[in-house]
This record gives sequence, structure tokens and C-alpha cells, in this order.
Amino acid sequence: MPLELHETTATLTGVVTVDDVEPLATWLRTTPKARVNLRGCNHMHTGAFQALLRFRPKVTAAPTDAFLAVLVLPLLTVSRGTTSRPGSRSP
Amino acid sequence: MNPLLAQFLAESSDLLAQVDEGLLQLERDPGDPELINEVFRAAHTFKGSSGLFDFPELTRLTHAAEDLLDAVRSGRLALDSGMTDSLLAAFDLIRGWLVHVTTHERLPAGAGNDTAALIIMLRAPLGGETTVAHPLTTSPAAMTDTAPAWLAGFDSDWLAETATWLATTSATMRFVRYEPDADCYFRAEDPLHLVRQVPAVERLGITEPELWPAAEDYDEYVCLLSFVLATRAADGELDYLFRYVPDQVQMVELDGAAIRRHLDGASEAPAPEAPGAEHDPELVADACDLLRAAQRSLTVRDAVEGPQLTAVVRSVTAAATALGQPLDLAGADGAGVRAAVQRLLDETAEEPGPPAESAPPGASGAGATERADDPGGQVGSRILKVDQEKIDHMMELVGELNVAKNGLTFLADAAEEEFGSRVLSRRIKDQYAGLHRIAEELQAAVMDVRMLPLSVAFSRFPRLVRDLSRRLGKSIELVTDGEDTMADKDVIEALGDPLVHLVRNSLDHGIESADERGAAGKEPRARLTLAAVADGDAVIVEVSDDGRGVDPDRVRRKAYEKGLISEEDLASLSDSDAVDLVFRPGFSTVDQISDLSGRGVGMDAVRASVEKLGGTVTMRSQLGLGTSTRLRLPLSMAVTQVMIVSVAGQRFGIPVDLVVETVRVPAAEMSRVLHRDVVVLRGEVVPVVDLAAALEMPRAAATGSDRAILVVNVHGQRAGLLVDQFHREVDVILKPMDGLLGYAGEFSGTALLGDGLVLLVLNMKEVLGLAARAA
Repeated sequence: MPLELHETTATLTGVVTVDDVEPLATWLRTTPKARVNLRGCNHMHTGAFQALLRFRPKVTAAPTDAFLAVLVLPLLTVSRGTTSRPGSRSP
Repeated sequence: MNPLLAQFLAESSDLLAQVDEGLLQLERDPGDPELINEVFRAAHTFKGSSGLFDFPELTRLTHAAEDLLDAVRSGRLALDSGMTDSLLAAFDLIRGWLVHVTTHERLPAGAGNDTAALIIMLRAPLGGETTVAHPLTTSPAAMTDTAPAWLAGFDSDWLAETATWLATTSATMRFVRYEPDADCYFRAEDPLHLVRQVPAVERLGITEPELWPAAEDYDEYVCLLSFVLATRAADGELDYLFRYVPDQVQMVELDGAAIRRHLDGASEAPAPEAPGAEHDPELVADACDLLRAAQRSLTVRDAVEGPQLTAVVRSVTAAATALGQPLDLAGADGAGVRAAVQRLLDETAEEPGPPAESAPPGASGAGATERADDPGGQVGSRILKVDQEKIDHMMELVGELNVAKNGLTFLADAAEEEFGSRVLSRRIKDQYAGLHRIAEELQAAVMDVRMLPLSVAFSRFPRLVRDLSRRLGKSIELVTDGEDTMADKDVIEALGDPLVHLVRNSLDHGIESADERGAAGKEPRARLTLAAVADGDAVIVEVSDDGRGVDPDRVRRKAYEKGLISEEDLASLSDSDAVDLVFRPGFSTVDQISDLSGRGVGMDAVRASVEKLGGTVTMRSQLGLGTSTRLRLPLSMAVTQVMIVSVAGQRFGIPVDLVVETVRVPAAEMSRVLHRDVVVLRGEVVPVVDLAAALEMPRAAATGSDRAILVVNVHGQRAGLLVDQFHREVDVILKPMDGLLGYAGEFSGTALLGDGLVLLVLNMKEVLGLAARAA
């Protein structure tokens, strides 16, 4: 099971597919101060990534997967204040 | 040609015809959702199958056409004649390409250029993506593109660093912007996964929506993100990765200076990057076409409003941008738009551009030279799909023609004997000869239509062998040979079951386990060969393996234990005869019955069904080296050659294959041995069966001193049939005995003779069985 949802913590392991997007988004929607553990995550579907971006849970453990750790994680951990930089980003 | 490609071409001509017809009908009846759906489906299928081959332009063009049709289908756009023209042009272009593909197996060289302009035309009504970046393969990003605004998606510190580095090393880096469609998740696309595959990514940035929807309104299945990435990957790699979404991707290659200029800010005027700026004549022509189409649709209907107006405005805006004269028509009404269009057209006409009413411009050049009515080319070879029943019906008619033709010989005889006109008889016979030739050719032609390659029968075996060998834990290599040998479809169909039996038997009994093979000094991987070869008017199919072979001693012993052979046979049977015992009903050497085979119904069933087809089965085996079973089948079962004999005043047919000889024996030479009539022919004792008695017909008192005996060979055993008279051989179309006659097993079928007589064809095996029981 790639997705384990607990009270305040979600653990993403293996490949998170498009089927896991809906439960993840629902959980994030209803869980204030959510925390996610990405250690075992090898890939997440864009939908899951987008949900994490939208709700910005705290990432408690960095993924070991190189692509996620080096390129994706920095996007998720940008400090909350700069979540949206209107205008500057979209052409 | 690759069979897949051949099939694609054959299907394409159907699909293209479907699209053409659909589009033309749509023009007459624009709102019909069923029609739109049909055209969309055809275009969709086309795109899907084209993706199997290396025709990127084809896929991109059909993709653009499909998008436009999708918009029409969903009601976002109303199909106007301009769009129909573009669509027809696109499919004409495709037809032209496919003609080229049919002969050269690749797209014509200029395909890329033709596509780009057409795609722009197709996309224009969808919101005017006239600037849809560089069509990826046609214009590789120039060395020093101007930095696009979306570079802001990267953080500026990193950009500055990179700019310095690139400037120092005089290197360049490619920057990709990837904007997935909002509904891409529903098309099983995963943009992040695509990005992950990009090699040598230096930096990944995302553009989030400026304002995220509120938590309760957030739809997790709408893609709101777009990506920017900096990579050192080569052009080709990027083209390849993003080949399915070229319209969602923009690519630039930048050096340090370009990035620096971008960083220095907006002071620099936005580069004139609208491709129309340089007034590419093709583009201008396309834009003019678009404008004229818009003008038409505005003039035809006075009150254009709602979504239709929006669509027109969009396409006009797009065309205007392409002409380098951006317009803002937001909020304009029909009249305002019309005026703007007129103005644009006037201005363009003043320029030394193509004349307003020029023939289709270069954009659709290929389409123009190879229009639908151009007889010059053809997509795929013409293939008719014909219902099998029609062919069967033709075969029946050929049979009846043969029967009618044969009637002429009777007529000729009658002309001579009854009417005494020898000349007329001769002329009828001449006519008969001509008719006979044509009928034969016709029959051969119809038979040829019914021919199928053996690969049809072989096709299921790779899977069967794989599955069974896994289940049995044996490692087996299947080799097929001569798959293109042709045989009648009935033969091919009927061959299926016997072949399955034989292959299963080989896998289960013939081939040893890997350990056993190792012990015997063989390769651990066994080899099972299916081979077919044509042999005159027959086809030979051989199933052979390099397994343990059949042990003749064991077979003899088993057969004896089961009471299939006598004690004398046990001692006297030769090895090859012993191997043949496996075809006896009720024979099985395997003590343990597996779920595959081994119930003793296998081989005799094979022999029975092959003989029903008029073929023979033989098995050769070498102990320890393998077994090969050879099926010999007639190429066609449609026509059977029979010999006609008469018994007790009635005529019967006997398949010529079985006939060994016809002899007349003086009555005195017939003798009786063990209550059976026998005759001695060249030192061999042949039992004689009185056919009349066997068929329970009134026995006519034998007259004359000679007895007519037809010697047949059934399963290697000779038997003589006592008949009244021999007649000629004829080709007949055998109709199986079914319905009310189905119970009569001693006949294999009926045939109609030229004089209208119904001929019963004997099933010799049954007849001999009957005779044996009667004795």
C-alpha cells in the first residue's frame, strides 16, 4: 500500500499512483497541521504532488529517491510565505 | 512490408473514407452529434494506430485534427466551413503521405513543413495557438534564442549563477516549459513522471496557480501546475520524450548572455517573437484563409452570437497576431468583428503577398496535388472484406456450374444416340470443352480466395506451448516453419484440434524434464517443431520433438495388456508397426493420467479427424531421439474425386484416394477362407466384401463368368469390393450427410451428378466395419 494515512501523519511509500491521489487530497483537506513522510516514496503522481503543493503539509522525512530529493523536495519545502509569488512566475 | 504497417494502410483507407464522408455530411447537417462522434472516433483511431509507427508528423497532425474535432464534439466550437476545409486539407495531406508510405514505407521528405502550417490552421479556432512554439522536429531551437518570460519560473539566484557559468564556458543550456492540459490526468498522463525521465535535469521549477482554489473547491484531478526545467539533454532526447505532447511544450536553448539579458529585466523590449512578424508568406496565406472563412461565416448568418461568435473572434485574433497586427476584439459584436476582418484583409491584400483568391497555398500543397479525386495514388493494396458466407455461396455455385456442365456430355450422347446427329454431338462436345476450361479456372479462382496461410493454424501455439511448458516445468523452444504455406480455410480450421492434440502429447509425453534431458546428454532446452510444406495437391504438416521417442517394446506390451493385439502380434509386429499402435482407440502408455493428456483418447481422435478431412497420419519415432508425426491433408476439401461403381442397379461413389486397383476375376478363382470370400491377387490374399450384402441391398444373381472387384486400401489393409460395374471418375462437391440422413454413417456425403442423379459417396471405413459385423 503506497499510502498510509494516520491521524496527523501520512506515509507515502513506493509509487504513489493516480488512484491514491483522491484519498490523499481528502486526507489533506480534513487534516490541519498534516505531516507527510516521504522517505520510502519512489515516485508520486503529479496529482499527489499538486495536492501537497496546495496544502503544504510539513515534510517530516525526505525521500531517498534522487529525483524527488534533489529536484522535487525543494519545491515542497519553500517557506510558506513565498508559496505564491503572483505575477512573477507566470508569463 | 511489415504486416502491421500493411494492415494499418489497409485500415487507413477505410478510415480516411469515413472521415471524408462524415465531414461532408457534417457540412450539410452541422449539428448532428452522431456524425461528429463518428468522425472524431475515426480520427482518434487513426491517431492511435499511427503512433505505432515512426511517423511523428502524421501523429501530430492527426492529433491536432482530433483536438479540433473534440472541441466540436463537446460543443465548445461550432464547425464552420473554414474548419471543414482545414480538416479536409489535413486528411488529404495524410492520404498523400500514405500513398507515399505504401510505396516507400516512409513519409515524404517535406512532411514536417507541410504539417506545421496545417497544425496552425487546425489549432487556430481552438484559441489561436498560432505561436505554438517551434514544431519540435522542424525547427530545432536556435543556438541563442531570446529568453522567454517564463524563465522567471526559476529562482533568480540560480539563474544568475548559471548565466555566469554558461558565459564563462561558452556553453548553452536548454530550457523547457511544459504546460500539461488541465485534464491530462484523465488521459493517463503523469507530467511529473515525464519530467523525471528527462535526462540531465539541472533545475526544476513549477508555476503554481496564482490563487489556489479554496480547500473545499479544490479538484485534485485538474492539473493546475506547469513545469519549467533546465537541462543539458540533447534536442533529440527532449523531442522524443515530449513526442506525445509537443503542443504543451516550449523549448529554447540559451547561452549566458541571453539569460543575463533576461535577468537585467524588462528594460529590453519583448522580443518580436510572433512568427508572423517576418511575414512568412505561407503563414500570411493561412491567416488570410482563416480571415476569409471568418468573414464567410459572419456574412452568411447576420446574427452570430454566443459561443460561435467567441470562436470566430478567437480565430480572427489568432490570424491577426500571425499577421503581426494584434487585435483586441473582446466584447466586439458581429458587425465590429466583420469590419475588423475586412480591414485586415484589405491591408494584407495591399502587401505583395499572395493574391487573395490564390489556389490553396503552399501549406496544403501536398494535399492539393494529390486530392481525393486524383487517380494517381492509392493507400495500401485494395483489400475487400467479404463475408465468408458469400465465398461459400460462390463455391456452391461453382459446384452447380460443374454439374450443369457435366450435363452437356449426356446431352451429346443423347444427340448421337437418340437423334442420330453425330455433327450436333460433336459441336456440343466442343462447347463442353470451352465451358469446362472456364469452369475449371473459375473453380481454381474461388479456391484461391478460400486459401489461408498455415500461420493461422499455428498462431495459437506459441502461447499454448509457453503456458503448458511453464505448468510442466519444462523448458521448450517452439520453432515454426513454412507458416506461409497455403491451404483451404476448411482444412486450416479443421486442422486446429488435431494439432493441439499432437502438441500437447509431445509436451506431456514426448519431451522429458530438464533433468532427464541432462542425464541423456541432451540440451536442457527441448525443441518442438511445427513445419508445413506444400506437396502437390496436399499439404504436409509435421509436429516433431527431440524428446524421448516412443518405445516400441513398451507400446507392444501395453497394447497386449489392453487386449488391443494378440499374442502373436506381440512377437511379430515390426517396430514401425508397433509405433503405429498408438493410434488405436483406447491406447495410452502413460500410467498416470495428467490433466493434459493421457486418457487414451488423444491419438485415435487425431487419426479420426484427419481422416475425416481426407488425410493421413503417420508417426515415426526413434527411441531416445524424438518423435515426429506427419499429417498429410488435401489442400482443399471442396472438391473430391470419386470413382463411381454400380451395385444392385444403384450407383455409389468411392473416394479415389482409397482405390488401389480395379480387377475382373473369373468367378472360378473366387474362393472361401474362414467363411469369407477371398481372391488371390499376385500371391496376396485379399478378402472380398459383397457391397450389396453389406449395404443390405437385394442381391442380384451374379451373371457372366467375371466378377468385378474394386480393391481399396483402408488403414493399410486391403479389401476387395464386389460390385456390378465400374464407371468413370468424377470431381464432385461433397455435401455432408446431415439432417434426416445424419444417422447413415456408412455414407460420407452426397453429390449431384451431371445427369441430375444423386450420388451417395461411401465411407469405406464404416462399410468395411459393417461387412465385418455381418460376416
